[in-house]
Amino acid sequence: MKLRPPTGRRLTNGAVSGLAAVSALLGLLGLAWILSGVLFRGLGALNWSFFTQLPAPPGMPGGGLANALAGTVLITLLATFLGVPVGLLAGVFLGEFGRQSRLADTVRFAGNVLMGVPSIIIGVFVYTIVVIPTGSFSGYAGALALALIMLPIVARTTEDMLSLIPDPLREAGLALGAPRWRVTLTVIFRAAKSGLITGVCLAVARVSGETAPLLFTALNSPYWPDSLGEPTPNLTVTIFNYAMSPYPDWQQTAWGASLIITLGVLALTLLARLSLRERQK
Amino acid sequence: MKSVALRASYPLTDSRTLLEEAAAPVAEAWTGAKIITRQVNFYYGGHQALFDNDLEIARHRVTAIIGPSGCGKSTHIRIYNRIYELYRDQRATGEVLLDGRDILGPAVDLMELRRRVGMIFQKPTPFSMSVFENVAFGLRLHYRLSKAEMADRVEEALVKAALWEEVKDQLRKPGTALSGGQQQRLCIARALAVEPEVLLMDEPTSAIDPIATAKIEELISLLKEQYTIVIVTHNMQQAARVSDFTAFFYQGRIVEFGDTQKIFTNPADKKTEDYITGRFG
Repeated sequence: MKLRPPTGRRLTNGAVSGLAAVSALLGLLGLAWILSGVLFRGLGALNWSFFTQLPAPPGMPGGGLANALAGTVLITLLATFLGVPVGLLAGVFLGEFGRQSRLADTVRFAGNVLMGVPSIIIGVFVYTIVVIPTGSFSGYAGALALALIMLPIVARTTEDMLSLIPDPLREAGLALGAPRWRVTLTVIFRAAKSGLITGVCLAVARVSGETAPLLFTALNSPYWPDSLGEPTPNLTVTIFNYAMSPYPDWQQTAWGASLIITLGVLALTLLARLSLRERQK
Repeated sequence: MKSVALRASYPLTDSRTLLEEAAAPVAEAWTGAKIITRQVNFYYGGHQALFDNDLEIARHRVTAIIGPSGCGKSTHIRIYNRIYELYRDQRATGEVLLDGRDILGPAVDLMELRRRVGMIFQKPTPFSMSVFENVAFGLRLHYRLSKAEMADRVEEALVKAALWEEVKDQLRKPGTALSGGQQQRLCIARALAVEPEVLLMDEPTSAIDPIATAKIEELISLLKEQYTIVIVTHNMQQAARVSDFTAFFYQGRIVEFGDTQKIFTNPADKKTEDYITGRFG
């Protein structure tokens, strides 16, 4: 048998790795472009009053988005308090107690479907079950919508992280006479801690940039968020409104808000990464 | 009187004199073998893994279980603390008498059973907490102790496991940061802390280097003064070194059981002889 000359293989190899490298570079380029654009245009909008003052009417100097910052933080915090415990418990059911049951398969499937539901549909859903009956847009409705988006993400990462913990560790806890719930909450959660934190961080990062579900629920407001029972100011809907407005100073402010959101998401993602690295040590 | 009854009812006697026997602390009213299994069968779903296992585990002795991979050694001892119940499709039938009481019945308190029957696993299973907390974990489950008592009990357990001298200055260090051999002794300390009567060891040295293995074997010889030990091992020299009695398992059945000395020098069954001389396995 005659060996094929290696030139053809070398060429193919070179072409494929070249294409892969170019694609990777294109992706990175896009990211760098967006980040630098947001950074350069947004930086100009940031000053002391941006963080401390209420929005000013178009054309008026000064003004800021302090209310929207506060509103976003409040809504996201509330969503985290609603979504994370339920998501964690659902993940514990999937990864520990219900592992081999048919119910778990159903829950897992439902979770996957929920994860794939476009966020605007979650917004419309919460609009019909909360906003219409209560007769008012509210921060509560916004938090609920975001919590619904977080729920399947947290449940999935929790299950994944728990499945990484080897069974002998569960057996070791049980073999000392500990009941199952105690083994899960102390032994298994501790062993999976960094993974669980990562999941929560990623879920928070994911929802903190959501606009569509808030449009139908929290809406927006130019005032301080005195209560979450009324339309609540938030950064993403503000960006949506300001960027679409014809006023250059509002558009500038929208860039500033974009930068803040981007930095927030970046920080959460980095935190998630760091916590994973901790685990690998 | 007790010792006479023991001789009469219990065939697995050894060279201890009657005087020693009488002096030995026999706390329990039951004076026969510590564990007796009768007609035990075990199933993984539809697959039967153990067939009619009859075995007597001698009190305050080391019983070794040997046999080729997949013969049911581990499966057998995992019945003694019912740890197999973690998995939905596994079940055991027959009788396992611990001090004369059947532990497979529905009225058995699993927490108490597992306190009395401790288990050491193939790979060390330290929990993601400090050395101190690893040992305290079991204590907190079963006892109400003051801080000082807790510290005493933890120290006592670590001394018994021959680990105290190596870790007394690093009790706050994570258990997972110890060396493999130390981790295994930490697991032994954790099991001893809750005052078990039986210690099940499932290939406790197979993931550990020879020097650490020697330490653990030495420890086993010390521990049998106070505990009844059952050790599953792949290493025949180990079985010969540490055990008083040996059971040879093959394809889910107990082929031969008796004095370790006899099994290794003059086995009754051809299969035992073939396995011990390395002709298969």
